[in-house]
Amino acid sequence: MNISVKIAHSVFPNPVTVASGTFGHSEELYAAKEVKCLGAVMPKTVTLHAQEGNPPRRICETPSGMINAIGIENPGIDRFIADKLPKLKKIGVPVMVSISAHSEDDFALMAEKLNAAGGLAAIELNLSCPNLQKKILVAQSAEATAAVVKRVKAVSQYPVIAKLTPNVTDIVEIAIAAESAGADAISMVNTFAAMAIDVHKRRSRIGNFTGGLSGPAIRPIAVRMVCQTAPRIKIPIIGMGGIATTNDALEFLIAGATMVAVGTYNFVNPKAPFEILQGIKAYMKTHKMTDIRELIGSIQR
Amino acid sequence: MKDIQQTYMVSSVAQVNATYFCLTLDAPALAKQVKPGQFIHIKVSDGFEPLFRRPFSVYRAQKGRVEIFFEPVGRGSKFLAEKKKGDTLDVLGPLGKPFTLPGKNVKQVVFIAGGIGVAPFMMFSDRLKGHKAEKILLYGGRTKAHTFAMNEFKKNGVKTFVATDDGSVGIQGRVSELFPKIDIASTTMMYACGPKPMMKAVAEFAKEKGLRGEASMEEIMACGLGACLGCSIPTTKGYRTVCHDGPVFNLEELIFS
Ligand SMILES: Cc1cc2nc3c(=O)[nH]c(=O)nc-3n(C[C@H](O)[C@H](O)[C@H](O)COP(=O)(O)OP(=O)(O)OC[C@H]3O[C@@H](n4cnc5c(N)ncnc54)[C@H](O)[C@@H]3O)c2cc1C
Ligand SMILES: Cc1cc2nc3c(=O)[nH]c(=O)nc-3n(C[C@H](O)[C@H](O)[C@H](O)COP(=O)(O)O)c2cc1C
Ligand code: FES
Repeated sequence: MNISVKIAHSVFPNPVTVASGTFGHSEELYAAKEVKCLGAVMPKTVTLHAQEGNPPRRICETPSGMINAIGIENPGIDRFIADKLPKLKKIGVPVMVSISAHSEDDFALMAEKLNAAGGLAAIELNLSCPNLQKKILVAQSAEATAAVVKRVKAVSQYPVIAKLTPNVTDIVEIAIAAESAGADAISMVNTFAAMAIDVHKRRSRIGNFTGGLSGPAIRPIAVRMVCQTAPRIKIPIIGMGGIATTNDALEFLIAGATMVAVGTYNFVNPKAPFEILQGIKAYMKTHKMTDIRELIGSIQR
Repeated sequence: MKDIQQTYMVSSVAQVNATYFCLTLDAPALAKQVKPGQFIHIKVSDGFEPLFRRPFSVYRAQKGRVEIFFEPVGRGSKFLAEKKKGDTLDVLGPLGKPFTLPGKNVKQVVFIAGGIGVAPFMMFSDRLKGHKAEKILLYGGRTKAHTFAMNEFKKNGVKTFVATDDGSVGIQGRVSELFPKIDIASTTMMYACGPKPMMKAVAEFAKEKGLRGEASMEEIMACGLGACLGCSIPTTKGYRTVCHDGPVFNLEELIFS
């Protein structure tokens, strides 16, 4: 059974990975077989300089989901490369790194630093984080998306993945713009802009006032977006949004995603990616498939 | 993950008094590993409602069993109160940084607990049975129904002082009003767990008297593993996660707004 997949020249042993910001637990756990089985690891987005993140409360639970406004708390790219990356590489599975920046120059500078660090399978551009105090996100504009992708592609030695926000009128248009600018893959989707109110205090339940919704609640919308986008682009899609079980992951693969990422559900069941990988293999066996490509995009239209 | 994520059998659920419940798990591996102040992160139901696990301090760990002591305040804890002997629970743990055990030079240990915050101190006092220090518990609850038999603490050689909001047991007032009852020594270690205003009062008292101490903090948690950065609180070292850098922090590190 062949379940390996590719993004440009990078090969992944299987299509199951983790969504940025939801993996990177206690590093003691990196030795666990459930981590070593991943098709790739994807740590939390890093920025050029350290960011301390948003004030609490940073998370709240919603029906079958959660809202978060972490604010990309991270140590900055230099410390990430020095302290965190070596441990991630030691896991022994392909490492993808997610970066975000306030300017094209900073994106390019970070890409150069990652070139120097060596040994990555891909870099993901977080163009869609709704938690920073800017009015419009890069991934809400086809031109801005294309410009960042083009700039990073010009310097990066690794495949470049554009991660999109679902908070747009037409996500297909943004995906096409990213592809035209040279992106090697699309990650979709990031969180949905959302809020929840404590009616007793008449205050937002999130310190940052608004946040991003994720978890099983968003899955049907994310599946629809992947299913709409897949036939319109040639590059692979990493599908995510509420994946908790094998069936959820299968929906994304059948809709046209080449890889699937578990996000929020890692918090509930850290073994979920492992169980999903076993589940995909079992499904392929039952349906007498020998190659994951028979599954990807197999939706009857 | 094999070690920290396990399914355990519930061996009993008991209502201890008008307010509190005690749930016991058959969990030999966990009972052996867990240290005072650590917590377990429990999936309280199947499916997505509620989505998050719920964190609970370990109240007791002995003879292959792990107990939690809790108040059913919302959906998650109510699910737990309804569990029956023989049910199974998916548990992550032990998690978090435990209390620092007092060194041999420590002559006095003071536990300060508000309400359900007493939970970690039962196990802590179990583990300090052989320690020569004088052990004191200052306990504050809303009413008599929020205090519970202090006998178990007494069996562990702990002197107890109680304050309630309505004066139905002990003195009427806040835990901090019990501070004058203790004759502190320079080596006294303070350990606090309870609502934020209480912790703040303890931190201020410790600072004034130049005492060392630790507090176990609470925050809403998703992963419990330091992965989501959702449970961060401000400290003098910047934001720190309650689940992984804590829940136990040095008193002087904490910032109370
Ligand atoms: C490290 C740690 C140890 C804990 N140990 C104990 C314990 O030994 N016994 C016990 O009864 N409780 C303990 N708690 C608190 C317990 O986790 C919450 O009461 C529980 O999660 C509430 O879940 P619920 O679904 O019943 O309530 P919900 O319906 O989710 O909420 C009810 C109320 O509780 C508050 N709340 C929810 N989650 C938390 C939380 N994680 N921390 C603080 N407040 C919360 C909410 O803001 C709300 O006001 C501990 C919390 C932490 C972080
Ligand atoms: C707590 C939390 C933190 C996140 N941090 C990031 C991040 O740093 N960078 C990013 O690109 N996406 C981040 N995301 C979004 C996820 O990667 C993912 O796109 C989204 O949550 C949808 O998937 P899910 O429903 O499976 O969680 C975060 C999500 C959560 C819940
Ligand atoms: S609950 Fe996720 S970091 Fe603490």
